[in-house]
Amino acid sequence: MLSIKNLHASVGGEEILKGINLEIKAGEVHAIMGPNGSGKSTLSQVLAGSETFEVTEGEITLNGENLLELETEERAREGVFLAFQYPVEIPGVSNLQFLRTAVNAMRLHRGEPEMNAAEFMKHAKEVSKQVDLDPAFLKRGVNEGFSGGEKKRNEIMQALLLQPKLAILDETDSGLDIDALHVVSDGVNALRAEDRAILMVTHYQRLLNHIVPDYVHVLAGGKIVKSGGRELAHELEERGYGWLGVKDEEATASSSVT
Amino acid sequence: MKSAPTLSSAFLQPAGEFLPGPLLELRKQRGTALVDMPLPTRKTENWKYSSRHLKLSDELAASLPSSGKEGSSLALPGYRVIFRNGVMVPEASDFPDMNGIRIQRFCDLDDQEAAALAERLDNTLDSHAVQMARLNSARFEDGLLIQLDKEAVLDQPLFIVHEVTASSAGSAYPRIYVDAARHSQMTLVEEYISSGNEPVLVNTVTEFVLAEGAQVTDVRLTLEGENVQHIGATGVRQAATSRFESHCVGFGGPLRRHDLQVRLEGEGAECKLNGVVVTQGKQHYDNHTSIEHVAAHCDSEETYRNIAADESHAIFNGRIHIHQDAQKSNANMSNKNLLLSTGAEIDTKPELEIYADDVKCAHGATIGQLDKTSLFYLVSRGIGRREANTLLTMAFINELVEQVPVEAVRDAVQLRLNDFFNQAFQEI
Repeated sequence: MLSIKNLHASVGGEEILKGINLEIKAGEVHAIMGPNGSGKSTLSQVLAGSETFEVTEGEITLNGENLLELETEERAREGVFLAFQYPVEIPGVSNLQFLRTAVNAMRLHRGEPEMNAAEFMKHAKEVSKQVDLDPAFLKRGVNEGFSGGEKKRNEIMQALLLQPKLAILDETDSGLDIDALHVVSDGVNALRAEDRAILMVTHYQRLLNHIVPDYVHVLAGGKIVKSGGRELAHELEERGYGWLGVKDEEATASSSVT
Repeated sequence: MKSAPTLSSAFLQPAGEFLPGPLLELRKQRGTALVDMPLPTRKTENWKYSSRHLKLSDELAASLPSSGKEGSSLALPGYRVIFRNGVMVPEASDFPDMNGIRIQRFCDLDDQEAAALAERLDNTLDSHAVQMARLNSARFEDGLLIQLDKEAVLDQPLFIVHEVTASSAGSAYPRIYVDAARHSQMTLVEEYISSGNEPVLVNTVTEFVLAEGAQVTDVRLTLEGENVQHIGATGVRQAATSRFESHCVGFGGPLRRHDLQVRLEGEGAECKLNGVVVTQGKQHYDNHTSIEHVAAHCDSEETYRNIAADESHAIFNGRIHIHQDAQKSNANMSNKNLLLSTGAEIDTKPELEIYADDVKCAHGATIGQLDKTSLFYLVSRGIGRREANTLLTMAFINELVEQVPVEAVRDAVQLRLNDFFNQAFQEI
């Protein structure tokens, strides 16, 4: 499904990713953990095609397709989805209009007929229930005035609507209370499928109690320094990042918080 | 030293012999006063950005014939009056026959009515500030007089389609005068359109006089083509507790200029002035507004948004003048602007003159660009760049578009704006 080879990326001349190698097969859930500043979010953004970062070396393919040659919107249409760490507020564009435009862009790409407003409304209402969002939010501006939890649920709702091949979840658990964490986790678990890959980026272990990954990788200093099974997450929770030769005071201090 | 350019005498030969005597006489007087009228130059403060776009060559002085091919108006439901090249087309018009509401073309007024109107024309405008409106007063060939009696309420919007047929070069001088008696109400939609490709000048004046408690809403849509210079003026005088709303939606052209002057002359009068301007290519749009708080306890709220693409230029100049006796005035002015390209230019200038000491007066102006993070968010969901840009740009003005009264007008405006942005973002 997703293959990343020797990926280097920089911003403003400063190299953030220093040779990432990662293979994710269809049906698998991978978690990337690591201290702040290790390059986790950069990796998510680079995969989605952010222009903030410059890829200087390496390759990324999705089902054999070279993602680096595709614009952000083309990647999305090929099935890449990024749940943002900080979803953007766009007053003046209603959620409904935004979601319908996105869904129809995908449908058009797949050669399917567009959904009209009534059809889409019905569909969107059903999906909004799945992530416990009041359908009234559809009429509001995109993420406008949403709480942190509502924003994250809206991200998962978008993933459910767009049915991507590769879902990248960037710190989707941050800022969530325990109830919201359950809702979001249920949504992500509903996304798990034989033909879909999920990449979770997280600072903390707690999300992984709800969404159990097949593989865990530790990203530090722009490289993956350790990979393992789900037990690696527990080990990190107990021992922090120090034993890997990685400094992260925050992660160590808060590793007991779940 | 080069002497300042003056109005060519070719412009002082009006047509329109069907006007009643008193109006012909008024026109003649106004024309005489225009002999050697200096044209605005770069040094004329209120024309400094636009004078070089004002091109009054002699070929534009000719009156356009009142016949010609019909353009395509928005075809909206409601009462309708069609003006072609400044002259009413009765057979294409359909306006109400209602008690208390009199709608007459200037050419149909008897001498007594015409004399009464002649007394009042131009009384809403500060002629020094709106130099070009004086040309209309010397040249109008017809016009529409709308009189609402006390408490009369027009039950549907009245559309006035001002069409200019540019099959030859020339000019047209549409004119509207609205006299709203106490507690009367109406909604007017002025639509300015064109057909044909020859260079033309459209020079318009619309005047509103609102008596106590009257409520008038004016929607103004400027939709003419690339061959049209449009110079318009709107003057409003408001008595106590009257309410005036203006919704201007303007699409750019080689020259678009609108002067909007409102005088709040009676206590408790309110006005709301909304404006949306979009420009692309090398288009030019210049809005000058002026609100005079003459009486105490009046409210004014003004919100203008400009969006400029390519190498176009948009200007907003908003003046608020609070007179010494206008205590407890409440004035709010906001002008936000969006530059869609590095070659575009927007100039904004709030002008506040406050002579009373107990007033609330707020103003704000910003100029910005589309937010890159928002754009990334939209395209990361598979939305095309062009559509994403259009969505974000529409978001910038939605608040104002949604306030446009009459659903059919609102929908038509939305559609036109969408088309405009799709074209503006073609290269993306």
